[in-house]
Amino acid sequence: MVRFENVGMRYGAGPEVLRDVTFTLEAGSFTFLTGLSGAGKTTLLKLINMTQPPSRGLVTLFGRDLSVTKRAEFPALRRRIGVVFQDFRLLDHLSAFDNVALPLRLAGNRPADYAQDVEELMSWVGLGDRMKARPPTLSGGEQQRVAIARAVVARPDLLIADEPTGNVDAEIGQRLIRLFVELNRLGTTVLIATHDRALIEGARAREMRLVDGRLIEMRSAA
Amino acid sequence: MASRESPSAILPRDKGAAPLDVVIAVMAFLAALALGASLIAERTALGWRAGLSDRLTIQILPPAKGATESLEQEVDAALLVLRATPGIAHAAPLTQEQTLALVQPWLGADALVAELPLPRLIDAKIAPGAEVDLPTLGAQLKQAAPDSLLDDHARWISRLKGLADAITWSAYGILLLIAIATAAAVSFATRAGLEAHHEMVELLHQMGAQSNFIARAFERHYFRSALGASALGAALAGVFFLLAGGLEFAGIEAVPFLPPITLKVTELPWLLAVPAVSGLIALGTARLSVLAVLREIY
Repeated sequence: MVRFENVGMRYGAGPEVLRDVTFTLEAGSFTFLTGLSGAGKTTLLKLINMTQPPSRGLVTLFGRDLSVTKRAEFPALRRRIGVVFQDFRLLDHLSAFDNVALPLRLAGNRPADYAQDVEELMSWVGLGDRMKARPPTLSGGEQQRVAIARAVVARPDLLIADEPTGNVDAEIGQRLIRLFVELNRLGTTVLIATHDRALIEGARAREMRLVDGRLIEMRSAA
Repeated sequence: MASRESPSAILPRDKGAAPLDVVIAVMAFLAALALGASLIAERTALGWRAGLSDRLTIQILPPAKGATESLEQEVDAALLVLRATPGIAHAAPLTQEQTLALVQPWLGADALVAELPLPRLIDAKIAPGAEVDLPTLGAQLKQAAPDSLLDDHARWISRLKGLADAITWSAYGILLLIAIATAAAVSFATRAGLEAHHEMVELLHQMGAQSNFIARAFERHYFRSALGASALGAALAGVFFLLAGGLEFAGIEAVPFLPPITLKVTELPWLLAVPAVSGLIALGTARLSVLAVLREIY
């Protein structure tokens, strides 16, 4: 699904943020990416999402070597990835419902075809009564749940999430992690970058830790 | 449930979009005026040509020292020739009063004018579909009435056609300039819109949106905006033409001898072309601008 081989990444002439990172995410796997703030977690997720090319090394996604993949093919690959951004990145002029439905619109689906699925998902994440609300009127936790629902609504092949439970209480956090686990059971490969030890211990999944830009394998899947 | 309604437009309505709407509305107003002017010019030229193309005017110039009798004899001789010519349906001399009425707009109705040595005029009408050999007729008239001049209005018709063509092509030139200015304004606004919404565009790209999807969002946005603004501009121009017609009915003539600056009701629908074309220009310009910028960035 995802393969990094000796990947290095630096911004401009700065120091390397990632150094010789090598790992593989097998299809259907569930993995936590941990590390202190500034360790390079977000950068690694950006490389997977093709937002930036690596400074060196090889990134393979869905069996495609990204260094030789045409840019015109990136959108189709990106639509197979669900992303939960650390800063949510919701569109303020759209309702919570329309934000969640955005990946389905991008895939060319009609509202009549996806409305029920979106409503059910929003009820599941506890936003059944906030569908018409616009993001600026939502609390941080509600915005985060909208961002998560948007990332999973199209049942992506790969889900990458950057601190997805940072703004929600423990109960909602557990509910969200159950959502990720359920999605993983349905076949989605999941990679979650987090500080939340309770989340990691609860899921008993593989853990990779970034320390000073280097990747250390902490724990294999249970 | 409200969430099942049509989804909102991807691109938000900009708070600062009003100036572009005003620019497009003004452009559309000017474009509709230019289009109306070309319609009036074409219609008037057609009317002039239709009115003159089957008419002949024969002038009998007055002799140097007022021999009125010989002038009248020449008029009668010319009439005889005309009435004997196949294809001439009607020929009649203009009375002195009719001749004076013709020069009145230029020279006034002063008593002195009546004393001027004016030529006698004969108005002749060619039968519909008939072919008259004008050089031969001219020669026959010259023989019968040596001071006669045959005028088939070809020179006038040619000048009028030239004038009408000049007005029409000037109007087309103005329309082209307005189209270019509209496209430039929309292109500028689109680039500014992309800059203002770069975070949204970046997010859509990261979610796998094709450039076409983003371009469509922008083109729809500017198409609707231009359609509304230019419809307002064209409507105002329509009101202008109707008011100009009202002035005409009230007996206020802007410029004597020129056609009234008004459109017929059957011509007004042509003004609908202005918002339609304006919308399409905005749509095409926005699309090309967005795709060009996205190619540069992504």
